[in-house]
Amino acid sequence: MKTEDLKNNKEYKYGFTTDVENIRSPKGLSEETIRFISNIKKEPKWMLDWRLKAYNRLKVLKEPDWQKPKYPKIDYQDLYYYSAPKSASDKPKSLDEIDPKILETYKKLGIPLVEQKRLNGIAVDAVFDSVSVATTFKDELTKKGIIFCSISEAIQKHPDLVKKYLGSVIPISDHYFATLNSAVFTDGSFVYIPPNTKCPMELSTYFRINASETGQFERTLIIADKGSYVSYLEGCTAPMRDENQLHAANVELVALDDAEIKYSTVQNWYPGDEKGVGGIYNFVTKRGACRGKNSKISWTQVETGSAITWKYPSCILQGDNSVGEFYSIAITNNFQKADTGTKMIHLGKNTKSKIISKGISAGNADNMYRGLVEIKNKAINSRNYTQCDSLLMGNKCGAHTTPYIKNNNATSTIEHEATTTKINEEQLYYCNQRGLDQEEAVSLIVNGFCKEVLQQLPMEFAVEAQKLVAISLEGSVG
Amino acid sequence: MKQNYDFKIDKIKDLTSEEISLRKKNLDLFYQTGFPNKKDEDWKFSDLNSILSNNFNKIANNDFLPREKEFKIIDEFEHNFISLFNGKLISKDFSYEEKNKILIKNFDYKDNLVLDSKNSLYFLNNALATGGFSLEISKNYKLKKPLVVYNNFSNSLKEKIVNYKNSIILNENSELNLINYINNSSKENFMANILESIKVKKDSSLNNILINNSKCNCYFYKYIKSDLEKNSNFENYLLSSGLKFNKLDIEINLNEENSNSSVFSALNLINKEHQEIKTRINHNAPNCNSYQKVKNVLNDESKGVYQGKIFVKNISQKTDAYQLSKALILNDAAEFDAKPELEIYADDVKCSHGSTSGSIDLNSIHYLKSRGIPEKEAYQMLINGFLCEILEKLSEGKIKNFLKEKLERQINGY
Repeated sequence: MKTEDLKNNKEYKYGFTTDVENIRSPKGLSEETIRFISNIKKEPKWMLDWRLKAYNRLKVLKEPDWQKPKYPKIDYQDLYYYSAPKSASDKPKSLDEIDPKILETYKKLGIPLVEQKRLNGIAVDAVFDSVSVATTFKDELTKKGIIFCSISEAIQKHPDLVKKYLGSVIPISDHYFATLNSAVFTDGSFVYIPPNTKCPMELSTYFRINASETGQFERTLIIADKGSYVSYLEGCTAPMRDENQLHAANVELVALDDAEIKYSTVQNWYPGDEKGVGGIYNFVTKRGACRGKNSKISWTQVETGSAITWKYPSCILQGDNSVGEFYSIAITNNFQKADTGTKMIHLGKNTKSKIISKGISAGNADNMYRGLVEIKNKAINSRNYTQCDSLLMGNKCGAHTTPYIKNNNATSTIEHEATTTKINEEQLYYCNQRGLDQEEAVSLIVNGFCKEVLQQLPMEFAVEAQKLVAISLEGSVG
Repeated sequence: MKQNYDFKIDKIKDLTSEEISLRKKNLDLFYQTGFPNKKDEDWKFSDLNSILSNNFNKIANNDFLPREKEFKIIDEFEHNFISLFNGKLISKDFSYEEKNKILIKNFDYKDNLVLDSKNSLYFLNNALATGGFSLEISKNYKLKKPLVVYNNFSNSLKEKIVNYKNSIILNENSELNLINYINNSSKENFMANILESIKVKKDSSLNNILINNSKCNCYFYKYIKSDLEKNSNFENYLLSSGLKFNKLDIEINLNEENSNSSVFSALNLINKEHQEIKTRINHNAPNCNSYQKVKNVLNDESKGVYQGKIFVKNISQKTDAYQLSKALILNDAAEFDAKPELEIYADDVKCSHGSTSGSIDLNSIHYLKSRGIPEKEAYQMLINGFLCEILEKLSEGKIKNFLKEKLERQINGY
């Protein structure tokens, strides 16, 4: 597909590219690249050693191949692992110093970086390609003792916290993509909420892949200390290109005693065109540890973008009485493929988890829920409830459910149910009769189908997500 | 446990040189992986290799031809029978039926039974299988009495593996109630590895029942591949409690319109018993139904596994498929694992599954106790109610009563 065609493609409104000068690492994956990244970020030696350790581990790991959506082999030597807007290399101290073109980009994306920031009251950390460009609302947060900055800054300024928690949920030697991220991660967000603090505003990161031939490897680390609360939002977009770009992020959450973390994602990476050319490979590792008693981690995701989505935001329920939740909407259209779900691992006593997953499949897409619920022997009196529903539109798409359920003690209960159907024709007919056209009717019914999940999203996101649901399914019925 | 295999093809008599080389090839394929282990997705929850390593010092193929022909015949209802000893067909009786309507003979290894299973037990069976039977029911013939297949194993089998193949064909518009009766009370460890092909042709109906008679140290594996034609009906009832290890691997292909299939299973496992029901239902044609209900009661250190997959092809509109697995876990050392899968490519379908596992309802126990019923009996009553439910759909009254009685014996101890 030529660039002009791409410009004419109106379906994906975030498909523009921004013309800013970039600094890139040497091409390919090597020790040299890792040293380059570490050097340009002026990292301390322990961080470089940590990366190299991951790199050495990576050499013996094999890329997993058990997933449902298959993809052509990725040439890891043909990628740039670091790409940064040139103007950011002397890190801006305030928003005024940021390249206006980047600010323009974020404005197009609708991110409240400058003028909207006071209205919305959302603190934003925006990640452009590989580096974090700006963090808003910093002063207000600092007063409360909340640390919200890029992970690179945290490595410099809060090494103790980073050393203590980085890799404690997703260890260096986890699976292939997580280890790759550990070796080459470029930036991301860092959040620390001190004890007994309720974060006064929603924290948010916006990820954007701009440069071509790059992969994005960001790393997010959120620590909620005893008795604290934070709600964190994440959004993503990328320009339209006819190549497949890799996005392999790691997100680690740690909730200590009585803490609560709410993590919401609206993922709208470029999904490829209607013929299945291009699009992002979204291979993300997200894992949260409810380490303390009575802690809670809640994942909410709306997955509408990406050529392939392959991720399982998980909860390790270590503390007694801890709670894990997972709410997901995954919409696939055209040739998109999704293999997503969650893992709930119950270790502590009286732990609870809840999984609500809604999969919608249209066109030639394949949508898969894969999940693990495991209640270990010592996790007495634990409970899980899982519901995964799939909606199919047309007979070229697929909807699949593969839950793994393991119950290992006599006092715990696991309930699982799943259904697969198509849109109810009577409901469609009813809507049509009331004057809604086919597309409006479908959008209404699908939004109703997803309601349980949409309700979990913070207000600002819920509106965006509802629109996304409608847009993603345009042209799929008719 | 690779070093302890003692598999010899030359123990098998009357083979042509061609057969020997084919069997050797299969044995080599088996040796490449050995017994399936948990790295194999299908064996994730039942690591047969380590189970065998922990319980067998060595394992050899059986060449022992049993002299015993005596066995206890079921006297609860009148029936035809086929009797196998260590897999070999030794006697048969179809005195209730018309002549020439039923064809029964030794399984002929020359007309190769091709099943496309890739697991290593399949290769091992190909390499070492002897015995087994072929059964064919003529067109338009409905058997007057049920057929019991006595799977007898002699008590002298020790650290042996018995491999055989069966083939069952129901021609158009025929009907059969088939009861696979596993009969062994040996204290020695041995393994059985059985492959069975079932063809249910147009308008036919097969009830396939598997029941284990007494507690034994048998490690049992049976793979059933079934193909269903138009308007056919295939029901399975699985009551295999008492076997030390069991994996029933059932593949049902609904190849033509309006065929129905169901799988019902009730297991009460004690001690270290480990049993798995694995199903794969392929909806290859429109308007077919499939129904599965798997119930487990897990005591002591037992482990129950259910892996079920429903596959719906894109042409298979109006499919109605259902899966339900329920488990009662009565001891903290017991475990229940489930993987109920749906893989669906057609939109106008009704597919759903449910899976629950948990403890027994203590309120119900309390209720029964308050009515003067001792705790142990209260438990037994609730377990009986929980498991016996799966027999409800069975229409044949005498068989139903017989199975109920056996199931109660499995629950209340032998």
